[in-house]
Amino acid sequence: MPDPLKTKLKQLIVTTLKLEDVKAEDLSDDEPLIGSGLNLDSIDALELVVTLEKEYGIKIKSSEESRVALGSISHLAEFIRSRADPARLPG
Amino acid sequence: MLPAAAVRLEAAGCITGLGDTAATHAALLRGERALALSPVLGAEGGELVPLALGGGRNLDETAPPNWLPLVQRLAAAIPADEWGSPTRPVFVTSSNFGVGSLYAFRRGGDPGHLAYGTPSLCVEWLARQLGWGSTVTTLSHACVSAHLGLTLAARALHAGLAERALVFSFDFISPFVTGGFHALKILNAGFPAPYADRPTGSIGLGDGAGFAVLSRDRGEFTISAQSLYNEMHHFTANRADGAGFAACLGPVQAAASGRRLWLKGHGTGTLEAGRLESAALAAAFPEAPLVSWKGSLGHSLGSCGVVELALAVESIRTGRAPGTVGGVAPCFTPQVALESFSTAGHDGVVCTSNAFGGAHAAFLLTHA
Amino acid sequence: MLERYLHALSLADPGEEDPAVTRERLRDRFPKGATRRMTQLGLLIGAALDDLVPRYDDAVVYATQYGETRALEGYLDSFPAASPTLFQTSIHPSAVQQAMITRQQPVGEFFPMTGRGHLVAQAVQTSLLSPAPRVLLCGGEERGTWLLTRGVASDRTFAFAVALTAEPGGALGRVALRPEDGTGGATEFSLPDFFEALKARQALDRPVGPGARLILDWT
Repeated sequence: MPDPLKTKLKQLIVTTLKLEDVKAEDLSDDEPLIGSGLNLDSIDALELVVTLEKEYGIKIKSSEESRVALGSISHLAEFIRSRADPARLPG
Repeated sequence: MLPAAAVRLEAAGCITGLGDTAATHAALLRGERALALSPVLGAEGGELVPLALGGGRNLDETAPPNWLPLVQRLAAAIPADEWGSPTRPVFVTSSNFGVGSLYAFRRGGDPGHLAYGTPSLCVEWLARQLGWGSTVTTLSHACVSAHLGLTLAARALHAGLAERALVFSFDFISPFVTGGFHALKILNAGFPAPYADRPTGSIGLGDGAGFAVLSRDRGEFTISAQSLYNEMHHFTANRADGAGFAACLGPVQAAASGRRLWLKGHGTGTLEAGRLESAALAAAFPEAPLVSWKGSLGHSLGSCGVVELALAVESIRTGRAPGTVGGVAPCFTPQVALESFSTAGHDGVVCTSNAFGGAHAAFLLTHA
Repeated sequence: MLERYLHALSLADPGEEDPAVTRERLRDRFPKGATRRMTQLGLLIGAALDDLVPRYDDAVVYATQYGETRALEGYLDSFPAASPTLFQTSIHPSAVQQAMITRQQPVGEFFPMTGRGHLVAQAVQTSLLSPAPRVLLCGGEERGTWLLTRGVASDRTFAFAVALTAEPGGALGRVALRPEDGTGGATEFSLPDFFEALKARQALDRPVGPGARLILDWT
């Protein structure tokens, strides 16, 4: 059963970062988001952070913290679950 | 990397969150910090971040801009001449110009702000306020802007196109720029500690304006070996091997051979850039003490090169260079000077700045 | 008199082409995936520079009055949740950096300039004073939306890049600046004027700013 939060995060990544020719469902849960085959960089990460902060009401305090949180989709889901109000999480 | 020919520095001055050149220098020697925690979006609130506003002004812009009195105060210290005439060109450098006015228009709707909002409108207005002629060249390359002004001024002098040249740099912060750096997660709640080896970095942002009067043959100081380099590697990161820093420092290192130097670095408080910068400076100039004053003044963006030049000159004149205010041990390299030190016994200072896109700039300042 | 010879020229005049159409049209000129964050101005200047094949020892001089207008509009509209991408992209000299960073093209000297009626004179002077073996003088504007309705943006989109060297052999033309007494500050020659002259291969011999006369002749 797919994790609804991870599914939502994949959709947000594709739309926020305007990833052409990439389908959300093809994103791997555990592949690094930054510096891998997606060609995302630190600015993409920060753009994603703005979206995530708005969507889930969380706060990422520094560029160092964003690097850790955005290690992979699995890492990110764990980070959001630990910080967000459960009422704002899908499923 | 093509170094510009040497020119003489006749005069330099600045204004910061701590006041004019002498007041800023004295406060830095006392270890004072201009930065104070302030809402990142001014009247619209937001997280508290370290900002240094000059002259008690507000982050939120007025029409005309509320930083005009600060510029007028600074301009009163510029040696009088027909600035802006063909043989007395002015080189204006800034990163943000009047963009705070555009922000104020968009948020508040008052069209009165628009007259100051673009770089050309802002500089033309400023030139009228300061009584300049129309030979005003405007450069904008983020945090190396001021160095570009110095380089072009030197070239104009050496080509015989000018007899004296004025480089005028300014950057006054607004929610436009504080919001942006906050979104980049480098303007955070913590105060900057340049070159500190710690888990999290942060910068501060500060108002700054400065001037430098250059000529071919008059003045107590010489600016030589001006060097520029652009990595074009990434907008917000440098090449991990530090090659960009080294490429810029090479010509300056050659020109400074045999001199006992101190170093005025860029040192904003970010971690990776600070690590690379300090390592490159230590490799090029072993044992030269390194300072950054942005831990107190904040980063004054497009004006930092000339603001910090004025403070370097003051340091040489008074015999004492302020240390890295706000810095804490351990530092990335042992050369980082946390405390002030005597400039006697040093016969030059290398001043450096770096910018987004991996832009680097450096020059050597010595007694003439 | 300062002079250099014009050896290559690339122009883009896309009219009212939508930025999304420009992106689709030019995407193959850039590394895969790079164009998703590029602005229309960045794409056009990047393609123009690409035609000139930038080299490590070139100097680049970039002239624009308004810079990244659409990114600026978007960034201002993103508040209070400011967009880091649009902030970064709105900062001058983003258009040139977008292109050269995607292609990892370091360069020694890079002079981003801005201004209005004398910008061409100043950019040409900067180019002619550079000791670099070759200077790539580029520039352009992109059409604004709401900033345009307020009179603080360009009403047209265009871009150009020219390569200037000290070698007359094989040149397309010559660019020179001659100092001239008595040329008043009232003389203006804008970036769009310069673009039209390049497009038409128009010979010029005219004041362009205080104390400066621009000569452009074609082989």
